[in-house]
Amino acid sequence: MALPQSLRTSVTPLELELIASEHLVEIVPLITMEKTAFISVRIEGAYGPLRPPAKCRVPLWMATNLKLKKKCHIVPPEWLSVDFLQERLTRETSRPEFSKLPFRFAEIAKVILDVASDDVQNADKIKSLLKDLREARQAKSRDGLQKLDHSELSLPNLCSMEINEIRPFFIQAMGILTQLVREPSAE
Amino acid sequence: MVFLPPPHLASASRPAYAEAYANILVAHRRSPLTSASSVIILVAPDVDALCAAKILAELLKQDDVMHRIIPVSGLADLERMKDELATYAELHTLILLNMGAILDLSSENWFGEFSMKLTVHIIDSNRPQNLANMFAGGENGERFIVWDDGEAENMGDERKAWEALTYEPEPDSDEDSELNDEDSVRSNEGDDLDDDEGFSDRGPSGKRRSLGDGDRSQEKRRKLDDQSTRLSREQRETHHKLIAKYYGSGSWYGQSASATMYILATVLERVDCDLLWLAILGLTFQYTTARISRNTYDKYHSIYYDEVFRLNPLPPDVAANTTDAITAMSPDDLSVRAAEDLRFMLFRHWTLYDAMYHSSYVAGKLGIWKERGRKRLTGLLAKMGFSIPQTQQPYAHMDLDLKHQLRAKLNSIAPEYGLVELTYPSFARCFGYRASPLGAADAVEAVSALLDVAGGIRMEVEVEGARHGGEWFGGGRLWEGGRKGEEKREKRIEVGSRQKDGDDDVDADVDGEERKERTWWVKNFWAAYDALSDIVPLRDALSLAMSLHRAIIRQGTSIIDKQDIRTMRSHRVVVLSQGPDLALFAHPGVLARLGLWLVDALRDRLPGTKIGGLQGRGKKSLPFVVACLNERTQTYVVVGIMGALDFGDVRRNEFGLAFIEAKQRCNARSRHSTFDASVLEIEQEDLKLFLETLCEVGEGY
Repeated sequence: MALPQSLRTSVTPLELELIASEHLVEIVPLITMEKTAFISVRIEGAYGPLRPPAKCRVPLWMATNLKLKKKCHIVPPEWLSVDFLQERLTRETSRPEFSKLPFRFAEIAKVILDVASDDVQNADKIKSLLKDLREARQAKSRDGLQKLDHSELSLPNLCSMEINEIRPFFIQAMGILTQLVREPSAE
Repeated sequence: MVFLPPPHLASASRPAYAEAYANILVAHRRSPLTSASSVIILVAPDVDALCAAKILAELLKQDDVMHRIIPVSGLADLERMKDELATYAELHTLILLNMGAILDLSSENWFGEFSMKLTVHIIDSNRPQNLANMFAGGENGERFIVWDDGEAENMGDERKAWEALTYEPEPDSDEDSELNDEDSVRSNEGDDLDDDEGFSDRGPSGKRRSLGDGDRSQEKRRKLDDQSTRLSREQRETHHKLIAKYYGSGSWYGQSASATMYILATVLERVDCDLLWLAILGLTFQYTTARISRNTYDKYHSIYYDEVFRLNPLPPDVAANTTDAITAMSPDDLSVRAAEDLRFMLFRHWTLYDAMYHSSYVAGKLGIWKERGRKRLTGLLAKMGFSIPQTQQPYAHMDLDLKHQLRAKLNSIAPEYGLVELTYPSFARCFGYRASPLGAADAVEAVSALLDVAGGIRMEVEVEGARHGGEWFGGGRLWEGGRKGEEKREKRIEVGSRQKDGDDDVDADVDGEERKERTWWVKNFWAAYDALSDIVPLRDALSLAMSLHRAIIRQGTSIIDKQDIRTMRSHRVVVLSQGPDLALFAHPGVLARLGLWLVDALRDRLPGTKIGGLQGRGKKSLPFVVACLNERTQTYVVVGIMGALDFGDVRRNEFGLAFIEAKQRCNARSRHSTFDASVLEIEQEDLKLFLETLCEVGEGY
């Protein structure tokens, strides 16, 4: 591979953000556009038509581009709200297992808050809630790594950024553990 | 050459800003040769044009239109640029910001020879505008579009007069002989000039043509008397008088270019805080440099006030109406708030004593240049309850309760000293947690300091805390540009050792080549352009603005102390030929500021003089001519300022015409190096003669 050593074991957060940008979000367009075909990994690669003020589902990258040119307003997904996140946070801190969150919530939340923080209500509160969630889950995933054994590591409801964070470690760790396990049985 | 009415005056048959803008987009998308040079924006080097350029660039970027911004410093530069532009095949839109209104752009000298698909948009706040630009129609005329602010509606008489004179079918010979006269005048001037120096007479051709109209046509009338004219002679004369009055009453300023751009953005429904802030900066610049009167300022201010509240709704419990009380509500708070601002210069960024000392209004009223005046200032501060250590603290370190009381105390105590009307409504912007809120006037000061002196001259700025023998026995440091300068920030030099070698200097002033001279101000332009959107260089530029002001005060007080002001019959003259800051004042922008400071400072002490306009009557005003020697090129930079008698009022600047007239009469070798006709660069030997001729010219009016 042509990638430098440090990047071969996992994906960078920016790349994850790019992948997450394929996710569809709702926008309220301010301009009119016909149904146009774009390059997309989805089979249904044509988006639109945009007819203000009707809402439309477009990929996040397109929504970002339009928003930066002030041609749409992004409607935040329903999980990006104070109530939802607050409720998940209390669940997170009260139970030992991970609570269920959208798989790519971190990337999508970051993009939307960067670009369209005026479209999100209570953006500051949401940012602080997201930060709290991350810290709570990080603590849990650190504990969970202690349960690492050679055959499986089960951390249900872990999200893509968090998986990416621990992936380099547990791939190597599992490899070594597998070797260690194999050695005694070989005797 | 049509003029665009502003949107509120537009109708279906009269396209307004939005249509012109849409045409730019259409031309861009349809032309097969579209490249980055298809849309070119020429920008004059002042803060208003800079803000307008930024707004326009933002709008174009949102529409995916590739464009280029090119700074142009003066008429000579514009001619050079025109020759270069003639070689671009893919150019289809040219936008001139704060330049070109007075030029007859469809003539062969300018853009008349360019291809037919070129459209030229002129967004200029300078008045008077060339009437040909506004009213000429026809296929050639349609290419030049002047974006008007509604004033043209009131120019119906001038329009009729101009049309009558231009389209009058009979006197073809009349116009030819007038043109011949123009050419002969021009060739006469050409003989007198010293071509080796590269100087040439570059007065705005539109103005001279109109002057030629006024003077010479009278004689023509008598010669062609016997030919029957459709218009009677009296009618012609009245038309001529009207047009001469329009051109001859001096120069003034209309709506700022950034306001025009903001209106465009409003029509396109794409306004946001950034664009609003830029428009506010353009307006404040016009007000603080005495280009518009207080009434005009208030009018635009109320418009922006509504906009601020529309775009930045404050939560109901925050009722901040003084800039002191504004704080950023969150780290990402970039909102604009309305605030009352004090007339002190940059007062939130240095000590209170300094701010009052350096503001021209206070200086004038209290007489700061004398020791007695300084004592009065400390007396005033003491009466307000500010102890001397407090006033010597940088503003940010002053006691909080003193800050809050400042305005109230000023309102109650300052009138005793004759300082009334110390506050005026203005705006401030929060920058989250990265910097304290910045007032509009301070931002304008910082940006214009960058434009004038960011590079090209050694400027020393003060380090905070280094006064009165601070840590390292006082000291300043050489100013380096914004973010780049942060790496070099640790260097401190002693005050005495100005002989520091130039290897850490980014300035290009040391050698005298003209190419280097051109590039330093281009660098300044871009430094100022970047600072408009980035708070870090803007904040750093504040210290540069402060040292600039200190230099102006030093020079101004020494002028007044030495009583260097010579009073001529119709105006006052100051000539600077020596002093520590001479190189600094060789820049026209800085010199103009010095002139404004002098006008403000001496407003109450000098009686106004009547300087009559072409019509023979005039209002009282304070005409000032300031000249400074540029040692490097052995020329004098001369700036003429028409101060008004009342603070907050403006007068039309008649020095432009006076300079041109005097120049013609005494055949001085000179040139106009900027777009402003009241700024002149003249050979050292010719200065005396020129000043004497100027007096005669003043009387002639």
